[in-house]
Amino acid sequence: MSQRLSGPERRESILSAAQGLFANKGLHGVSVDEIARAVNVSPAILYRHFNSKQALYNAVLEKFSCQRQSYVDTIVNHGTRFEDALAGMTQVFIENVAKNPDILKIELHSLLEGNPATLAFFQNRWKSFTDYIEFGLNEYLPYDVPNREKTILTAGLMFQGMVREVLIQKCLQPQDRLIDLSLYELSNELVALFLRSIGINKTHLSRKATISG
Amino acid sequence: MDFDSELDASGLNCPLPILRAKKAISALDAGQTLKIIATDPGSVKDFEAFCKQTGNELVSSGEEDGKFVFAI
Repeated sequence: MSQRLSGPERRESILSAAQGLFANKGLHGVSVDEIARAVNVSPAILYRHFNSKQALYNAVLEKFSCQRQSYVDTIVNHGTRFEDALAGMTQVFIENVAKNPDILKIELHSLLEGNPATLAFFQNRWKSFTDYIEFGLNEYLPYDVPNREKTILTAGLMFQGMVREVLIQKCLQPQDRLIDLSLYELSNELVALFLRSIGINKTHLSRKATISG
Repeated sequence: MDFDSELDASGLNCPLPILRAKKAISALDAGQTLKIIATDPGSVKDFEAFCKQTGNELVSSGEEDGKFVFAI
């Protein structure tokens, strides 16, 4: 017999169970019946709150979106230097995912599932970084850098790949060889490595790399 | 409404609109107004938080032709 819950509490319990199931099995690997069983309600009650599995899935994504930590604090408190803001943003993003790795699992499933709306949702999360990197590099990367446009375009992609892999290694598949490095340290190392890899030394960045209005 | 400066951050995701607004505001004098246009839905909450934290006044916040327009 299911416990009597208020409407919003019931909705929340369904969302929470669905999040875990979608994270472990992907959108197509879970049925509405399975989610209903996990919260001990009939599918009819579940449909009263969400009219389809897709609607439930979208609500899970929406919940992640609402929990998104804003980068406003970072920008207000870390100044406008390119590397400081990038390090701050990376911290916020990484902490956010580490607190709730289900979002990373759902993202990885979604890459294989190929649902355009879901892919757009996750691309939009990364766009904060790729926009920032592309805009920042375009502002101050010397004009005589070889393959300047390609460098700018691929730098964002490279950063996204590095951050996502660190999260996979630390949150989903903990590796013994990385055990002595905290997520925080790894994140800082990653930003430093990224900055060096695009051929900008940090002293130069500290002096000049601010984003203009 | 008259603006002293305008910033178009259309198509950019947070935090770029905030970052650019911060820079644009630093070039203004106290009491002057900056108009910001953005398309990221997250910018509504972000500009509220930004103004609260920095002591700037959010004079208006609204939607025009599918874009978000702020006066700070």
